[in-house]
Amino acid sequence: MKLHNRSPQKREANLKRQFQRQCQILPQTTETPKDSVALCTQFRVKKMEQLYTLENEIKELRQKLKEKEEEMNKIRREGQGDLRAWILGQGKLDSSSEPIVQCGTLPKWAIERYSRQILLKDIGVQGQTRICQAKVLIVGAGGLGCPSAMYLVAAGVGEIGIIDYDVVEITNIHRQVLHFEQDENVSKAESAASTLRSINSRIKVTPYNLQLDSKNAMEIASQYDIILDCTDNVPTRYMLSDLSCFTKKPLISGSALKMEGQLTIYGYRSETHKDDKGVSYKGPCYRCVFPTPPSPDVVGSCSAHGVAGPVPGVIGILQAMEALKIILDMPPDKLLVERMLIFDAEDMTTRTVRLRKRNPACATCSDHPTNLQCRKEQSKDYFLHYNSENLQVCRLMFLNTLGIKEAMVRCWLAKKPIKRTKKHRFKCQDLVDYIDKLPIIDSKCHLCLNSESNVKYIDLNVKNKFHLYSMYVKEVSLKNIKPASRKTFSKVLLAKNLRMFKPKNDRDVCDLVREHNLINYPFNDDDFYRNSTLGLDLIYEGSNLDKLVGQVEESQTPVIFICRRGNDSQVAAKLVLDKLPAVHQSKVKDMAGGLHAWAEKVDNNFPVY
Amino acid sequence: MNSKFTIMAETLKLNIQFGGGAELLFDKIKKREVELPPLKKFKPDCQSEKWTIRELLLWIKENLLREREELFLQGDSVRPGILVLINDTDWELYGELEYVLQPADTIMFISTLHGG
Repeated sequence: MKLHNRSPQKREANLKRQFQRQCQILPQTTETPKDSVALCTQFRVKKMEQLYTLENEIKELRQKLKEKEEEMNKIRREGQGDLRAWILGQGKLDSSSEPIVQCGTLPKWAIERYSRQILLKDIGVQGQTRICQAKVLIVGAGGLGCPSAMYLVAAGVGEIGIIDYDVVEITNIHRQVLHFEQDENVSKAESAASTLRSINSRIKVTPYNLQLDSKNAMEIASQYDIILDCTDNVPTRYMLSDLSCFTKKPLISGSALKMEGQLTIYGYRSETHKDDKGVSYKGPCYRCVFPTPPSPDVVGSCSAHGVAGPVPGVIGILQAMEALKIILDMPPDKLLVERMLIFDAEDMTTRTVRLRKRNPACATCSDHPTNLQCRKEQSKDYFLHYNSENLQVCRLMFLNTLGIKEAMVRCWLAKKPIKRTKKHRFKCQDLVDYIDKLPIIDSKCHLCLNSESNVKYIDLNVKNKFHLYSMYVKEVSLKNIKPASRKTFSKVLLAKNLRMFKPKNDRDVCDLVREHNLINYPFNDDDFYRNSTLGLDLIYEGSNLDKLVGQVEESQTPVIFICRRGNDSQVAAKLVLDKLPAVHQSKVKDMAGGLHAWAEKVDNNFPVY
Repeated sequence: MNSKFTIMAETLKLNIQFGGGAELLFDKIKKREVELPPLKKFKPDCQSEKWTIRELLLWIKENLLREREELFLQGDSVRPGILVLINDTDWELYGELEYVLQPADTIMFISTLHGG
């Protein structure tokens, strides 16, 4: 599941790129004589038309094929009946926790089809019967969800639910192996489900093309036995852990980034297996192990930091293995309960480390979860809906344990994609006017004054910039002008080097203590290309910045600052400008919108990454 | 009290490992063998003579940490999201900061991953 939402513009750009790719497939025409340029163009156009017709025909045929397949599967299902129902009818109803169904309950085709795994002592006919009855929910049809779903489906798991609200992008395909080229811009859940059905038509696959949130989570999860966490962001991971605690379903949690992967099982409960005290076994939940979430700026993502395709592949497949083992009711000491597998593809090492036990005072999985204690007015937005019952979750508790701001959660959980307006730097002239008119004083801090950073302070009795922003919105609204966004507001303040500061005492002259130590962005080649590390885009002041300023001074040509999306380079350019003597300042240019804008507006052939 | 001097004279050899991205704060080196000086030498005002994780974190901060401190430490402990493992076991089972380091211990700092 993706955190960021995509804008229609991006989708359009995608289509455009797709089109261009097709153009490149056309035969090279450089060998044709110069005088036949017109002929050549004609030839190209003809080929394009041909290509277009073929594309459409194939699309139609695929659609027809899909319909026929569905029809066939439907008839098949009616003829054979649901294997799960079949087993249940022969054995005992609701038998998931009761003694295993006797041998001979599997139909002939199932014994043949799954024979190679039935041969295993750990599985056998009984184990296969369990597998055929099991229901697994996979959250996220991405790098982890695809391989794990593939193997579970192939193993004959009776019912698979797969959730993802995103659509397939061409950048996903290197690791999300259930999606094919033709699936670009198709819902990931649907695309995954259709591939899964073609792997095994005998099972039930349910795609959920939606964002799992507090309103639908309980209802969906209660239909399954096991949850696989194949998501890519922290809030969803915490939510899934809470969900696993509330529904008492084990959560098999995988993650992968760059060349490393991690895997463990949270929220494991077993009636059949006892711990050393003879009480039914309970493993830790995500919050037991990580009570405090990391701050968002240290969390990396596949789209920003990259990932080697086989890494989520390995982890996803191992998730499937653990799911099968849970279905087979293997004892907890054989599962990754209280243990975490750490895989490093760089030196091909795996390590299984011992994790802490369940925390009896855990906010979610203890007998008296504090997450559920709430004050009425604070629990408005945060509760889990289940059977018309609302399990309330205290908003403060929820957010505090997540360590995130409420507005961020709203954005993440909102179903509608966030509207992203195109960045026009300081388009709102009235905003600039407004800020220019504010009373401004110089810094009192000698460090600021000496550093030529030109930091100025707004001499108003405001709490913070958001307070100031609301004042601005009020004033502008009176004039019937649409106010600039909060982000733009902050940006303008940043660009003008204006700050809010309320001294706590007389000696307190500056709030830039931290900034006085650190200044800039990675400049050495290695860091530049990789756009630095897990949010470590700031590095300490000193050699790098000074070196760069020196280089700019010596340079005979303009120096252009470029980064992926144009945010970092803007800041970097500003920092250099501040240190640069006025004579050299005209050399510094910043590329607005970064490489993405370049690819979109200037060079459509430029590879966007 | 004789033993005091023998302990003081000895250095403590440890394996320190970083993973999950935490190594980026430490020159991108994942595995290191380090030799800790006698604790009194590193921290003269220290009451104890035995190295614990608490002092090790200080030592790491002063000797190995290259990038922003707040991405590794928070208060006197590691920041949320970094898992500390003592000989492949969660440090919580060993008393976290109070664990007394033994020669040839392997201490791992693993940043948790969230991608998928």
